[in-house]
Amino acid sequence: MTKRGVERIRGLDPVKDRELEKIIGELDGKGPSPEAGELDSRWKELDGIARMMREEPAPEPPTGLGESIMSRVRAHRSSPWKVISEALLKPREVSFHPLKALRSPVSGKECSFYFIMVGVFYAILGVILMVGLHRLGASLVTPGWVRWQPQIALVTAGCMVAIGLYLLKDGKVALRMARVGALVYLGFSLLNGIFVSLEWALPVSAFMSLLSALIGLPTGFFLIRTIQNCGKQYA
Amino acid sequence: MKQIDEGEIIGRVLGGDREAFAVLVDAYKGPVFRLAFRMTGSTPDADDLTQESFLRAFQSLGRFRAGERFFPWLYTVSLNVIRNHLRKVNALPEVATEKGMPDATDPCCDAADAAISRELGRRLQGYLLRLPVPIREALVLRFYEGLSFDDIASVTGDKLSSAKMKVYRGLEKIRAMMKEDGFADDETRS
Repeated sequence: MTKRGVERIRGLDPVKDRELEKIIGELDGKGPSPEAGELDSRWKELDGIARMMREEPAPEPPTGLGESIMSRVRAHRSSPWKVISEALLKPREVSFHPLKALRSPVSGKECSFYFIMVGVFYAILGVILMVGLHRLGASLVTPGWVRWQPQIALVTAGCMVAIGLYLLKDGKVALRMARVGALVYLGFSLLNGIFVSLEWALPVSAFMSLLSALIGLPTGFFLIRTIQNCGKQYA
Repeated sequence: MKQIDEGEIIGRVLGGDREAFAVLVDAYKGPVFRLAFRMTGSTPDADDLTQESFLRAFQSLGRFRAGERFFPWLYTVSLNVIRNHLRKVNALPEVATEKGMPDATDPCCDAADAAISRELGRRLQGYLLRLPVPIREALVLRFYEGLSFDDIASVTGDKLSSAKMKVYRGLEKIRAMMKEDGFADDETRS
């Protein structure tokens, strides 16, 4: 029993910790202990009340109760709102805990989810970069490597989603492929950051370089670690 | 009922076979009715609450997690229905007990014994209804329904120590009420 619990009972009654543990243990079916002493009489009274409740005959449900319930069940019509809320509140088959995925084994579905989420992120990033560079009018004057950043992000997104979907098969081959994909992604993020930073002519290149390194490296390490933990299920 | 059967039945119900729900109703209407009766002390209320509990369980069946035990889940649903009812009506024990006891499956053979047993049951029910709802729940689940402390904690959402504490407090309160009423010590000690 917790200390807080014992303090609560102290507020109710002068029973001490040890005595309380004993009484509850005894009520839990262990019977009075030989050294119960002064607690014996108290225990007998409480046990007597508990026994009266246990031996109390069980009331029978009225006849026709089952049929009444089933009539209501048959007549029940779910509102569209209820159907939607039920669908949203339906328990997930897989839980997603990114921090837990770094420490303990994860399923193929969970691993797949992380790859697809990275893919979704890069798809959004690609679109933003594409629109952003266009608005800046930078696409005409930007050096080659920076100009290709939106397309690189979109290709990365496609690859990540493809790997994620393949991982749903939850097999060793899919896992091996995902590992290669994650390593390529990590290496490419690093190189991309370096290449972009070489093109200092454009102000956005510093931003691109930072973005690539700051997002790519932790994400790459996270995916690799997740794949390692996913692989533990085949170990 | 076996766990695997429950899973299969729930699967059928979720698949659209509403009639399959009747199996669960038949299996558990007794315990749910008894729980509702002990909590309210009224047969008509227990009848309504049992119907409401099963209907709520049917509506929420999609949220039932595969592999979970159905019975504690149903108890949790029922307790929520009963708590809402008690909150709404703020039932007075004296009024509730007047609504009478349902027929009990009493193996008693002697008429005098049966009368004593009924009187004892009536008194106990009266004491029970004078307890705060959370404590009443713990006592009903423990001694009338025979649930373990672990199951009580799971059904009520309490910690294990808290469930034990409520049971202990409930018994102490009933003991105090019995003493106030001059209920003979021998009756509890025998």
